[in-house]
Amino acid sequence: MKASKPEESQSSDRYGRRADLKYALHLLRRNPIVLAGVTISVASVLLALLSPLIVNPTSWDQQPLNLRLCWNNPIVNWQIANVFNCGGSAVYPLGTDSYGRSLLQMIILAIPVDLEIAFEVVASAVVIGVFFGGLAGYKGGIVDEAILRVTDVFLAIPGILLAIVLIVVLGRSLPTLTIAVLTTWWPYYVRLMRSQVLSEKEKPYVERLRAMGAGDVRILYGHIVQNSIYPVLVQATLDIGSVILTVSALTFIGLTPSPLLPELGNLANQGIQYIFTAPWLILFPGLTILIISLGFNLLGDGIRDVFDPRLRR
Amino acid sequence: MRLYEYVARRLLLMIFVLLALSVLIFYLTRGLLPPTTALAAYITPRMDDSAKLSVARALGVATTSCPSYSAFVSLQGGCVVPLWGQYVGWLENALAGNWGLTLLPGISGTDTTWHVFFSRFPYTAELAIAGAFLTIIIGIPLGIVSATHNNKLPDHISRMVSLGGYSIPQFWFGAVLQILFVLYIRVNGSGLLSANSTVATRCVICFSGVVPGEIARYSGIPLLDGILSLNFPYFWDSVVALILPALTLAITSIGAISRIVRSSMMEVLRQDYITLARSKGLKENVVIYRHALRNAILPAVTVSGLLVAYLLGGAVIVEIVFSWPGVGNASLAAANVLDINFLELYVLVTAVIIVVTNLAVDVIYAKLDPRIRY
Amino acid sequence: MTDNNDYLLKTENLFKWFPTRIGILSRTVAYVKAVDGVSIGIRRGETFGLVGESGCGKTTLGRTLMRLTEPSKGSVTFEGTVISALKGSRLKPFRRKMQVVFQDPYASLDPRQSIGSALLEPMKIHRIASTKSEAKKMAGELLAKVGLNPDHLARFPHEFSGGQRQRIAIAIALAVKPSFIILDEPTSALDVSVQAQILRLLRNLQQELDLTFLFISHNLAVIRQMCDRTAVMYLGRIVEFADTKKLFENPKHPYTKALLSSVPVPDPSKRRELGVLQGNVPSPVAIPSGCRFRTRCPYATEKCLNLPPPLIEVERGHWIECHYDIDFSAASKVEILPRVT
Repeated sequence: MKASKPEESQSSDRYGRRADLKYALHLLRRNPIVLAGVTISVASVLLALLSPLIVNPTSWDQQPLNLRLCWNNPIVNWQIANVFNCGGSAVYPLGTDSYGRSLLQMIILAIPVDLEIAFEVVASAVVIGVFFGGLAGYKGGIVDEAILRVTDVFLAIPGILLAIVLIVVLGRSLPTLTIAVLTTWWPYYVRLMRSQVLSEKEKPYVERLRAMGAGDVRILYGHIVQNSIYPVLVQATLDIGSVILTVSALTFIGLTPSPLLPELGNLANQGIQYIFTAPWLILFPGLTILIISLGFNLLGDGIRDVFDPRLRR
Repeated sequence: MRLYEYVARRLLLMIFVLLALSVLIFYLTRGLLPPTTALAAYITPRMDDSAKLSVARALGVATTSCPSYSAFVSLQGGCVVPLWGQYVGWLENALAGNWGLTLLPGISGTDTTWHVFFSRFPYTAELAIAGAFLTIIIGIPLGIVSATHNNKLPDHISRMVSLGGYSIPQFWFGAVLQILFVLYIRVNGSGLLSANSTVATRCVICFSGVVPGEIARYSGIPLLDGILSLNFPYFWDSVVALILPALTLAITSIGAISRIVRSSMMEVLRQDYITLARSKGLKENVVIYRHALRNAILPAVTVSGLLVAYLLGGAVIVEIVFSWPGVGNASLAAANVLDINFLELYVLVTAVIIVVTNLAVDVIYAKLDPRIRY
Repeated sequence: MTDNNDYLLKTENLFKWFPTRIGILSRTVAYVKAVDGVSIGIRRGETFGLVGESGCGKTTLGRTLMRLTEPSKGSVTFEGTVISALKGSRLKPFRRKMQVVFQDPYASLDPRQSIGSALLEPMKIHRIASTKSEAKKMAGELLAKVGLNPDHLARFPHEFSGGQRQRIAIAIALAVKPSFIILDEPTSALDVSVQAQILRLLRNLQQELDLTFLFISHNLAVIRQMCDRTAVMYLGRIVEFADTKKLFENPKHPYTKALLSSVPVPDPSKRRELGVLQGNVPSPVAIPSGCRFRTRCPYATEKCLNLPPPLIEVERGHWIECHYDIDFSAASKVEILPRVT
């Protein structure tokens, strides 16, 4: 709990790859919540990679043979047992969707779609953030001002609306969805990276490198960025979940390439019209989003604990 | 730098931001697609060509010298106003207070963009304010409890709530609340809506349009109007109708605020002056609420600017899920038909709110923390 | 004092003013006059001391010499080339010849860079070694030269103590085979016992590698031990400059005198001639008119209020900026003699 002042000032002591790894393992052993986060996120990535092997990836737009629409009945009998009888069976463990496809299979097909978009958005945002944020923080002056003003413009508008307009204008497709979400996401990373670089570039080792004759590119991208990127990577991990939430929200409100597409928000969208007759249609896709997003948030928290020296005690 | 100079500088920047935003939205809606697309939503098949041409002229897309509609459609030279010309024309009109017509239905029958927007806006404001209110009264205590009971049961519960809050899909949370609510209403017969309310009010659970109430509209905000017109059944219905959407809207920010308060509170509780306060023999409550909270709350203040932007953005989704008659719901419809007038007004009003809140937050922050200089 | 051609580095009337801007239009309302007209010459092979209170501009002077900040006015000449006007790649060869060691050994090393990589980096930048294995060999030799185990190349800074890190910083500075090293308070952050080791190491390296040092410090004892000649800096200007021995035995400027008398003397029978310095250092934004030391000088007169003092060579190689020739050696009564100018 108590940390004496000199220890605080020598926090660079706590850096170093080996120490990090050791501490990470220690943390995992001690903290079951972080372990859960690691397990969920690793499992969801594995599931996404293996999903074409589990479910035929082309099956989603084939007209299903046996429509199991027994729940699509105006007269609803609100008995939990009935719901599950109708929704789930050995063949369709989570029931069928409104097109008669197995909901479980569709969710398994949907996970890689959402995760891929999330990884693409976050990775691109990190790259843009590192490049422009690093530049702004390091160069200062007019470059900084220009980059900041551009981010101002993008931060002054609710991201979701910008994304909606972009998707409508550019056409509804998965790449468009990715670009639209990225457009609303990158300014945060530029800001974050910039503030990191601002504090890092004041450290004496940067001055020493300049005195040594190192060029700006070497100093910025070889040293400063490497030392200040950890908060950005933590944010990126946390944002995997947030991007999935945003993407599924966009497809949920109808901005989807195809109503048949297995994508978690889209599956939930199908479910909303049957919300009182077949609630599992919206429950399970949403639950999947919640679990994946929770996993990455827990993982991000864990990583933050490893790399934030102030939280280590 | 003195305070007024700082504020003046920020307001100048705001004008720049607003201009840049309007250009961005204009370019997105008009610049990327052929000029006929912008027109498509405004013309009906029944119009004859001269009517279509006058619509195109009214929208500022076709020049006055354009001979015929077919010439415009075939993009004949000198027929289509260049994009910057369209923008300048639009900007001149907007600055003169003429925001043109919108395609969207208003709450009270008029169809100018300005009227439609501001008849819907109070609903969004009500939702966002209620969301901010819930965020503060739930999120901050959660964070405090979490920090003061570090690693005990209240901490674990509060952390799970906060983690769940920002991991949960809002649209889904809203839907689940609706399911639970319907079950509740069915179990309890009439549900929570007042039985003696004779006026048509908004539905609690509904997915299609809204019935406009025959209520005197002083402010446009139902809660407020209910009080002002002393129509308490209407007021009560408004509260009931507001609870679920507001909670849905607030769930993510509750998580965010509580974790910020938690971590800054824990940081503050470690400081020497807290130990000093305790060693003076002060009661733990005094230590926490008088000494620690004041300093721990500062980081939460800084994010409240972001919070407003977040709530206004989140309102788009929540309004759609709950069929809330606000501007967020309408903006999706506007985007779908590329209704540039409505989109521009929505974006600019929202941007002004966000920028002004951020400015206010920075000023308040500087007042609260004497170490900060401009 | 800068007319000899034997100088490795000299400055002429060097200024570094930082503007203070306010308002919407960023008007410049004032300047922080960190370096306010400094002319010094450093001879090849010597250790040149720069002493003064904190905030007097010593570090800024060092940074300006290294071109880590641009001088506002004046010139820096290194080995006969005016480097204060060089740009970009033409400056790079001089970066190789001039190196700097900073005060804080904890912060002056990149925490995520191994010692070996930190040593190889300057060689890479200046293309010193032709092959990687040769560079590695050189890095090991450098570590041995500063008294560390050559096998520690793969270790990270956090695995070393403060003194060891300062040795590493010195090794990195030596990696490019410089002829001139600025030592900016190289021992202030270290324990006293470690200080002595580092100072001894520096002296040995100087002899062995024929180095020239600019030694910046506020510690008079260290300056006396290390430096051949010493300049005393006050509010951005050199107020006294002499051989270290002369300066310490017979200071001529009232400021130097006061500085020296503030050092505890291990002899209780010795009386202080001049009390501890009165008041605070004036702000470098608003430097007093006339003589900049007059606000704290016990001998200040009206002349000091109005006229900036001239630079006078009181003895051969002993310069001061003062209106008066004060004889501190008369033990009880201080004699103030107006100088004929």
